[in-house]
Amino acid sequence: MSTQQVYVEDLQPGDELPVVVRNASRVQLFLYSAATWNPHRIHYDPDYAQLEGHPDIIVHGPLQGAWLSQYVTDWAGPAGRMTGLRWQNRASALPERDYEFHGRVRAVEGSTVTLDVWEQTPDGQVLMPGEADVELPSRAAR
Amino acid sequence: MAGDRTSHERDTAAGLYDAAVPTVSLIPAETAARVGELLAGPFTTTITAEGARRYAQAVGDLNPLYFDEDAARAAGHRGCTVPPTYVAYALVQGRPLEQIGVDGLFVGERPIKLAVARIMFGGEEWDLLEPVCVGDVITGETRLAAIDQKDGSKGPFVRITREITYTRDPDGAVVARTRQIGIAR
Repeated sequence: MSTQQVYVEDLQPGDELPVVVRNASRVQLFLYSAATWNPHRIHYDPDYAQLEGHPDIIVHGPLQGAWLSQYVTDWAGPAGRMTGLRWQNRASALPERDYEFHGRVRAVEGSTVTLDVWEQTPDGQVLMPGEADVELPSRAAR
Repeated sequence: MAGDRTSHERDTAAGLYDAAVPTVSLIPAETAARVGELLAGPFTTTITAEGARRYAQAVGDLNPLYFDEDAARAAGHRGCTVPPTYVAYALVQGRPLEQIGVDGLFVGERPIKLAVARIMFGGEEWDLLEPVCVGDVITGETRLAAIDQKDGSKGPFVRITREITYTRDPDGAVVARTRQIGIAR
């Protein structure tokens, strides 16, 4: 969790965000199903998930989206505000495996920063490409 | 210019030379006619700290803005905010067990009929217009925004876009919109 604040003057297109690694336990998948009232069986029943062609239970697409959201809001800090987030779920993710979140500044216009953000496996397969728009504070306005 | 064809001629020429595989529509006409239809709602709920914090804990997102009222006020908010995409889950409607199929999914009264069987979650596009705070009263309604057929590397697929608009009561401000993409093949 970020306690530092990033300011818009400090950023340039091409700047990389720090990489964050996420890894979901089976308990986390259960809790996410419960907290979102999602009874879809592919997220808690391995035998049933295999019937649908998955190797194991799979991580919810929206949970990976929530991780992407957190990746951006943690980076943006308490005075930053995410105003847009778009992502595509291209491939399934499995529990008990590491997934990396990456980001890069695409554009800075006024106080608005547009980021390319994505989730990938450690060997570089992109599971979830996305974009985020963030409003950041200015050092001049402190 | 002799070589400069109209777009209609260009399309026709492309059709003649690229149409080795006839295109079969996976979208029945009765389904195409439903674009714009209200699929769910309007539903209204009050955003609770308990619901939002359970969600944040399940995601693993312990941002102080969601848990510490002083931190939220220091950052300029009316009170604790909630994770940006949580509003979608605050409005999930519970279902009786009899309405849930063997796969765990809700058996809808008017399912979107397609000539394909399997629908995967394809992604989302969020417009986050204003932060949502604990105590806000939010109304959501879901519309079928678009349904179109695409050609992918693994063959044709159908993209179903449901747009959910979230409005804050009583001032009527739209606080967020999401377009949820389903991929059916």
